[in-house]
Amino acid sequence: MGALQSAPAQPEYRDLADKTGFSYEQIGVLHKRFKQLSHNEPTLRRDHFSAIPDLACNPIRAQIIEAFFDRRNYRQNNEGKVEEISFEEFLVVMSHFRPPSMNMTDEQRESIRKEKLRFLFNMHDTDNDGTITLQEYRHVVEELLSRSGALGKETAKSIADAAMLEVASISMGHMEPDEFYEGITFEHFLKLLKGFEIESKMNIRFLNMDTTTLCK
Amino acid sequence: MLLMLLLLLTAGTGTGAGTGAGTGTGAPPLRGPALRSSPPVPASPSASPPLLLLPKPRAEYGAPGVASARSAAEEPAGGGGEEAGEQHHHHGGGFRVVQWEWSYVQTPYIIAIWLLVASVAKILFHFSQRFTTVVPESCMLILLGLVLGGIVLIANKKQLYQLEPALFFLFLLPTIVGDAGYFMPARLFFDNLGAILMYAVVGTLWNAFCTGFSLYAAKLVGVIDERVHADLLDFLLFGALVSAVDPVAVLAVFEEVHVNDTLFIIVFGESLVNDAVTVVLYKVYISFVEVGAENVQTVDYFKGVASFLIVSIGGTLVGLVFAVLLGFITRFTKKVRIIEPLFVFLLVYLAYLTAELFSLSAILSMTFCGIGANKYVEANISQKSRTTVKYTMKTLASIAETIIFIFLGISAVDKTKWAWDTGLVSCTLIFIFIFRAMGVIGQTWVLNRFRLVPLDKIDQVVMSYGGLRGAVAFALVVLLDGEQVRAKDYFVATTIVVVFFTVMFQGLTIKPLVKWLKVPRSTSRKPTINEEIHERAFDHILTAVEDIAGLQGYHHWRDKWEQFDKNYLSKLLLRKSVYRKSELWEAYQKINIRDAISVIDQGGNVLTSARLSLPSMTSRASFPEVTNVTNYLRENGSGVCLDLQVIDNVPGAKVEEDMETHHVLAENLYKPRRRYQSAYSRHFMPLGEKERQDREVFQRNMKSRMETFKSTRHKRHKKERSLKKRRGSDSKEDGNEKPRRNVSWQDKDPVVVPVESEEEKGEHSDPEKEKEEDEGITFVARKAETPKIRPKSVPAALEGCHSPPAAPYSPTSEDSHLPWKGGVGSPPPCVSVEATKIIPVDLQQAWNQSISSLESISSPPAPAEPVHPRVSALSRLGGPRPASYTPPGSLAGSTSSVGAQVAQGSFCFPEKKEEEEEEEEEEEEGALQEMRPLMSSLRPPGAMPPPPQPPPGSAPGSGKRRNPCVYLRSFVTAPPPPPPPPPPPPPGDSRSRGPTQL
Repeated sequence: MGALQSAPAQPEYRDLADKTGFSYEQIGVLHKRFKQLSHNEPTLRRDHFSAIPDLACNPIRAQIIEAFFDRRNYRQNNEGKVEEISFEEFLVVMSHFRPPSMNMTDEQRESIRKEKLRFLFNMHDTDNDGTITLQEYRHVVEELLSRSGALGKETAKSIADAAMLEVASISMGHMEPDEFYEGITFEHFLKLLKGFEIESKMNIRFLNMDTTTLCK
Repeated sequence: MLLMLLLLLTAGTGTGAGTGAGTGTGAPPLRGPALRSSPPVPASPSASPPLLLLPKPRAEYGAPGVASARSAAEEPAGGGGEEAGEQHHHHGGGFRVVQWEWSYVQTPYIIAIWLLVASVAKILFHFSQRFTTVVPESCMLILLGLVLGGIVLIANKKQLYQLEPALFFLFLLPTIVGDAGYFMPARLFFDNLGAILMYAVVGTLWNAFCTGFSLYAAKLVGVIDERVHADLLDFLLFGALVSAVDPVAVLAVFEEVHVNDTLFIIVFGESLVNDAVTVVLYKVYISFVEVGAENVQTVDYFKGVASFLIVSIGGTLVGLVFAVLLGFITRFTKKVRIIEPLFVFLLVYLAYLTAELFSLSAILSMTFCGIGANKYVEANISQKSRTTVKYTMKTLASIAETIIFIFLGISAVDKTKWAWDTGLVSCTLIFIFIFRAMGVIGQTWVLNRFRLVPLDKIDQVVMSYGGLRGAVAFALVVLLDGEQVRAKDYFVATTIVVVFFTVMFQGLTIKPLVKWLKVPRSTSRKPTINEEIHERAFDHILTAVEDIAGLQGYHHWRDKWEQFDKNYLSKLLLRKSVYRKSELWEAYQKINIRDAISVIDQGGNVLTSARLSLPSMTSRASFPEVTNVTNYLRENGSGVCLDLQVIDNVPGAKVEEDMETHHVLAENLYKPRRRYQSAYSRHFMPLGEKERQDREVFQRNMKSRMETFKSTRHKRHKKERSLKKRRGSDSKEDGNEKPRRNVSWQDKDPVVVPVESEEEKGEHSDPEKEKEEDEGITFVARKAETPKIRPKSVPAALEGCHSPPAAPYSPTSEDSHLPWKGGVGSPPPCVSVEATKIIPVDLQQAWNQSISSLESISSPPAPAEPVHPRVSALSRLGGPRPASYTPPGSLAGSTSSVGAQVAQGSFCFPEKKEEEEEEEEEEEEGALQEMRPLMSSLRPPGAMPPPPQPPPGSAPGSGKRRNPCVYLRSFVTAPPPPPPPPPPPPPGDSRSRGPTQL
């Protein structure tokens, strides 16, 4: 991926490439897209995202858009939300979806896995308290099913409850009578998705070729 | 032995008929019932490829009509062989009481016998577990075929049976491909479509050309003998037919190997799709050979390419058209559920035949018909139809596969059909292996530049090694025209060797290889609810990110397709009722049931998992397809369940009889059991006389009250029992005896064990939920139980083994003083497993509520312990759960909202409401009423020791006995209403389900 190409590497791309692992071409493509979305402004706001037509029918667009404005996803140990993002932040968030390189050690794989899961976790943990509460989880499931109207809401509730219960049983094992399960912590989240090959799933192919013109 | 017998029978009759047959006019043979399921019968022997292996002479006896068939049989001398002749002599010319009608039944008879032989052979193979894990079934079948063929040959001097291409292509292959296509994991297939197409098209072409040219080179060099008269075109033709990976062989071997899904779908997908390539190459070469190499013009090559495109794309289109048709038809079968499966079979088969009709790729057509229609058909047809389709398809495919491999073996024996040339055989073997490996490596290298998840070296090794050739190649080579391809006999021999080598040697060694290379295996584990949720979330997330990034990648288009599907296709092809919720249907249905199971799991498991360190997950993990719950339970029921009726779908005389028996037994066994109860005191402190009386009084007072409980309680028990049963059977099925031990410590005891342990487990898992205070009720249930349990277990034995059960189990003090433990030996109500599935968790809540209400009155011996958090959470969640608690039958897709009703009802006042609202319960209730008088007569009032006298009115056990069948009836005949419109959560419910409560 990060192979240096003879492309007209703008100096600012170099930092970004080091930081995110994208190639210059990919950064170029994404930059173009960024400008397209922001109408050539230096920053993107939420309404720019909302204006993407393809996103309109995505049931969980709100969460995904939110993820772009979440400081936790900028790899800087910050918290909180921002109102607008620059290209660098855009790119950093995008880099969570970069496919891992082919030859990885187990540790690398594990850290990539953790990183991706952390992104996912942050997406669900909307109030940023380190746990995904039942309320938050329900919200996720509800949104997932939101395409199906009112019916989905009740369904979502029971699914979320069941899922939560499952989490409780997986992560807590036996609980004392006075114990309550408060929410999914990140450790539990890791445990929960142990069998889930996120490192091979949470990937997108970033093209070196410019296709943005095809998008509205 | 049996096999031999059968064999001799067939061989004998074969020879008999064969020798007797002299001169025939070649009258068309009798047409057997043209069932798709049995290898059908030749239309006429004179038609170019005689379909079945039928000895030709015998065909002459067949006559078009019944009458002529009989008359043919009557010709004594010319006709039915020795046996027939004997009979004729005995009876002379007059009226014959018994007639030998061999020629009349011959065709279907032989077919049936063959099937029987094949099936029995399968049974025999599977007698030895260790053997079958090492040796793939396909190898065994081929070996069996060799043996059978040898015997027939020796007995007959002539090979009567062999794999005929027409039989293979028209009947055997479609059953296997149909099964594979219909049950193909569509998502996986399309996720890897690029790789599959690459391997199938490029790989096959590469293999075909390289093998062909290399063989020609070998011939020129002189490695291949002079006698093999073949030129370049012949070798190319041979290369084409021998290069294609065979779906049947791949499926047979890989299904046993359990490599990971991606690897499997790539190899298997390749084997399906490369059919188009093979067929086209084959046809092109055949036509080239016919016109002669020198007459082939350049334009013909382009025609060949065009032909390939048309054959493959056309075949796919035909398949898709039939898929749409099938989806559309099944949309309207609501009133005629019984023929739903038929439509599936017919249209899928028609897709195959239609493609064949236009000489398009039939395999592609059928595959895509199956893939395309699956989603809509499964949603449209009823659960029972779904099961029927599944089982029938699997059965047919299995039969076809068996026959194919056996006949491969048999055909190999016939020496007149082939000619051996060591050079050709060894060259072919080496070339196909080398080129396969080279092709795979080269293509993977290219593919990995584009794949997000690269295929690593191990995958490549398995893919190269998994390139099995099979019956398709054999059938194609047999179809060659010996006039035009003079080396046909050599090719046949080589193909047979190649097939045998790949299937037997590679098939045999691929498993150790996979193990040795540590190829990631597929996990049969079902994803958890959370994984399911995230899986779905992922699709959307990835799509969204692609959209944001302005990339039109795979996810983008998949999402587009899904929307198209939702907006147009589903509207067209799905029933309205289904369509409304088609969005969540798939996922929700799955989650629902799994959820239900997990709830049961946890409910019943709280104790066991914690105490026996049997993680609740394991039981669920090993639980097979969720939608199979019904069958699964039913199967297991036969082994473990006390209640025979559970298995009895059709209530009838048998049920009545059983009930009678139960009653008698109940009466007779009543005393021993009581004795036991008072004697058994490991965990149960016998109450004083006074207490007992008090209890009785209390009990009587509460009679009416309890009536309502009992149904609740039964259900809970049912649930638990079903859980246990499942778990037990799981471990049994896994061949894994250990976990089972943990759960049911009584396994060792031959007599009582299954029954008792079931019950006890049920009992054991109760405690946390119903604390001591529920004694009264418990006893009611238990008492009533007697009839049920007893019948199976010898009373004496019962006494002996009642105590052991508790011992290993009682690690915690908590358990051990629970009074209800006294009832350990006395099983809780024995109920149909089926019923349990209907019971929503809310019953637990109901139960808890009722207990607490009772509690206040009875002032139980011990204060109620805090309810286990999970349990309480469960019960709190009870409201919403029921929805998720879909009775399997309800999957059928009907839309009524019983679940929802229950959910709501359960919150107000559980017992009553439930009875009112849940129809099953009503039925149960009804049954109870019926049985009540009986039960009361059985029990001398006041005679009961610790267990308070069961109020006559509340003889649940007897009612129970009835229940299963009652319930079953409803379950089986009229699929229960259904599912899950998501239950509106009970109003008061939200408070308890707050995050902190979980």
